[in-house]
Amino acid sequence: MNNAVECRSLTRSFKGNAKQQAIIALDNIDLDVREGELFGLLGPNGAGKTTLIKILATLLLPSSGKVTVLGYDVEREAHKIRPRINMVSGGEFSGYGLLTVRENLWMFSQFYGIPTRIAKQRIDELLHDFELADKADAKVRTISTGQRQRMNVVRGFVTDPDLIFLDEPTLGLDVNSSRTIRDYIRRWVREQNGKTALITTHYMMEAEELCDRVAIIDRGRILACDSPCNLKKQVQRDAVFTLETTQFADLDSIGHISGVKGYTGETNGERQKIRIVAEEESVLAEVIQVIAGKGGKVISLTKVESTLEDVFLQLVGRGLI
Amino acid sequence: MIDWRLNLRAVIGRAYPRVIGSFREPSWLFFDIFLPLLGIAAFAFYYQALGAPSVFIGFVILGGAMTAYWLNVLWSMAAQFYWEKEVGNLQLYLMAPMSRMSVLAGMALGGIFFTSVRALSTLALGLLIFGIEIEITSPISLLVVFFLTLFALYGMGMMFSSLYLLYGRGVWHLSSVFQEPIYFVSGFYFPVKALGFWVSLLASIVPITLGLDAMRQLIFAGQETMGFLPVSVEIVVLILLAVVFIYGARVALNFMENLGKREGRLTLRWQ
Amino acid sequence: MAVNEHLRTIRWAAWLGWQMESNWTSPFLFIIYSIIKPIMATLIVVFMYLIILKSVNADPVLFSYMFIGNAFYMYVAQVLFGISWVVHEDREHYQTLKQIYIAPINFPVYLVGRGISKIIITTASVIVTLAFGILVLGLPVNIWKIDWPLLIVAMVLGLFCICTIGIALAGISLLTARHGTGINEGVAGVFYLFCGVIFPITFLPSWGQSIAFFIPITYWLELLRRSMMPETISISGLANYSAQEMMVLLLVSILLFLFFSLIILKYADFLARKKGKLDMTTAY
Repeated sequence: MNNAVECRSLTRSFKGNAKQQAIIALDNIDLDVREGELFGLLGPNGAGKTTLIKILATLLLPSSGKVTVLGYDVEREAHKIRPRINMVSGGEFSGYGLLTVRENLWMFSQFYGIPTRIAKQRIDELLHDFELADKADAKVRTISTGQRQRMNVVRGFVTDPDLIFLDEPTLGLDVNSSRTIRDYIRRWVREQNGKTALITTHYMMEAEELCDRVAIIDRGRILACDSPCNLKKQVQRDAVFTLETTQFADLDSIGHISGVKGYTGETNGERQKIRIVAEEESVLAEVIQVIAGKGGKVISLTKVESTLEDVFLQLVGRGLI
Repeated sequence: MIDWRLNLRAVIGRAYPRVIGSFREPSWLFFDIFLPLLGIAAFAFYYQALGAPSVFIGFVILGGAMTAYWLNVLWSMAAQFYWEKEVGNLQLYLMAPMSRMSVLAGMALGGIFFTSVRALSTLALGLLIFGIEIEITSPISLLVVFFLTLFALYGMGMMFSSLYLLYGRGVWHLSSVFQEPIYFVSGFYFPVKALGFWVSLLASIVPITLGLDAMRQLIFAGQETMGFLPVSVEIVVLILLAVVFIYGARVALNFMENLGKREGRLTLRWQ
Repeated sequence: MAVNEHLRTIRWAAWLGWQMESNWTSPFLFIIYSIIKPIMATLIVVFMYLIILKSVNADPVLFSYMFIGNAFYMYVAQVLFGISWVVHEDREHYQTLKQIYIAPINFPVYLVGRGISKIIITTASVIVTLAFGILVLGLPVNIWKIDWPLLIVAMVLGLFCICTIGIALAGISLLTARHGTGINEGVAGVFYLFCGVIFPITFLPSWGQSIAFFIPITYWLELLRRSMMPETISISGLANYSAQEMMVLLLVSILLFLFFSLIILKYADFLARKKGKLDMTTAY
């Protein structure tokens, strides 16, 4: 199987100014995305996901390294890549508010040279699939944020790309809108031969539910890359617990305990919910001791099945958001 | 190889919102046709107060009508890519397979269409209200000059749209600082010849200077002596300007795109 | 209490306006920019005059009438523009209008605050233009003979008046699309035509003169001219009015404009909220 995306030693840095050092957004990345794959990039804000997408979408040049998309070099052969890709970003407000949904989509389709008759047919089908048919003739400035985001996703698919980049496509959307988008993406990749989608997200569930493979990225580095199932297996050797405790002084002290690979804490009123990935169960005794020493009291303790979030915790040592 | 069909579709696609958009917001009829007439009328009365021959009022009306194009080029061409970047459209344009020139051409075509409605309405109403008689010596030359002026002027706007991106937040001020000085040096309200040879020559780099000068000579018969250069020379210079600006637009666009891709500035807002 | 809050709003809105006006370039370029624009705009009418009358001395009263009117008219164009453009700029460019709207501040006060930076910059431009006129073009104004009390009182009243009209325009901007600079350019044109800026109102047809008498800017410009160059009374068409009478007329019309501006803004605010236009984007 061919690779839709290949990155070799990809580095991208941004110039700093007098007060700020240069920022390394991507640090020596190697990555392959196979044709026909639904591939996820999982990482927190500022991890480098969007920078990577922009490079792959020919909007940004690498500082060093080699990148090919659909077999073409992003630096020298962008013109061969562009007719076959598209990109959708979460929260984008592209288009013109004075045009209707249908007109905006038609306009963008013209930039890809799609004959009007075909474009209109595709637009109608996609608007139906994304439950926007009744808004087809509404001016874009009058539709809701969720509807606008679905329109943007339609814009990405209307050109029938071979490879689509979806940068946080469900950002800020309600459950139904998110599900509509996820269902469509899944069908689009599964039901057509050779179509590839690269999706960035910081929703663990989304990555776990959708993707054939996931790369975990943090601070410009790929920390792991495998199927969600295989990634979780890495953590299954570890012990994953959730503890509910009363408030105590210094949550960070848990991270200093030897054998704790990562933890997250969430305050809920007087209570604190802590998720811990540890090397072995025996570490727990010391955890409870430390909590008691800081004035806290353990109310409940549960051993849980590992998720992608735990993989991230184990690799990065902190939560995703 | 250039895919003409793709680029033609892109031109039409980008022109569409401009043509349709202007008609969807009917408030433009009032703001863009009726209100500009007031400023022109003020200059017309000023000439009357100075005891000027009536042909000067004709000069003002023609110049006032052509300001519509200058304003459109400044605010809706030169500054447009910056606005497109702010709303997130620019990155979608840059990612699409069509030539970026076709996006600019579409913007220009749509802009010319709705600006022409304003300019021609202003001209017709102005001439009617002030009872100015015109005598067109050569309609064909007039059409040639008019379209050459628009080609060269919008070519300049296309070039500026890329260069403006380099100035980031200063874009608004850049358009603002060009507005009145060009009204002055290009002779929108008086024959440019009055500024002297060298100033007129320098001002001729803005296509509307020679375009207006030639149109005045062609619309108001007998005023050739007030012209800066013979119409035939002005036509040749306008052709050169059109070629230079459109080529310059292509170079500036490539420069801007490459710089943006290297520095990552094309897709960031508020820059 | 409320006064303190309004003052605070004016202070930070003025600061915000100043940042937007000036922080895009170096101070040197900003000064050049602030000087070139008004001088070039003035040179247009100066050249129109010179083409027909050849010399400033051909009709120094008419020249002074035109030059002073044109210089002070900058306040109308710039400050009106500054205040009403705030709506389009905040709504469509920075997309902050809705946040400003829900903040516990008085919106008209915020608009005036944003206009203050324009007033400061325009004041510098007007001074530079007048200095250019006197020193370079031979504008016959003697600064030792200027009626300063009249000039200062007229300035304060006039600026207040311009701000109130700006508020009305901002209200209209809440409901209209962004067509380039259409509304500002156009409305500024109304005043340019009818208020005796560059030519005496006697050149207007009688219905035009009637309109001129209804607009406070007409009296404001006349008071400014009288304070600097009293000889212009002879051609202004307002010789029948004393300075005191015009001051009263200016004051009354300011109050009327303030009243109508606030009503317009309030109604526009109602319609904008009813039609959901507070966060619309209309660029095309």
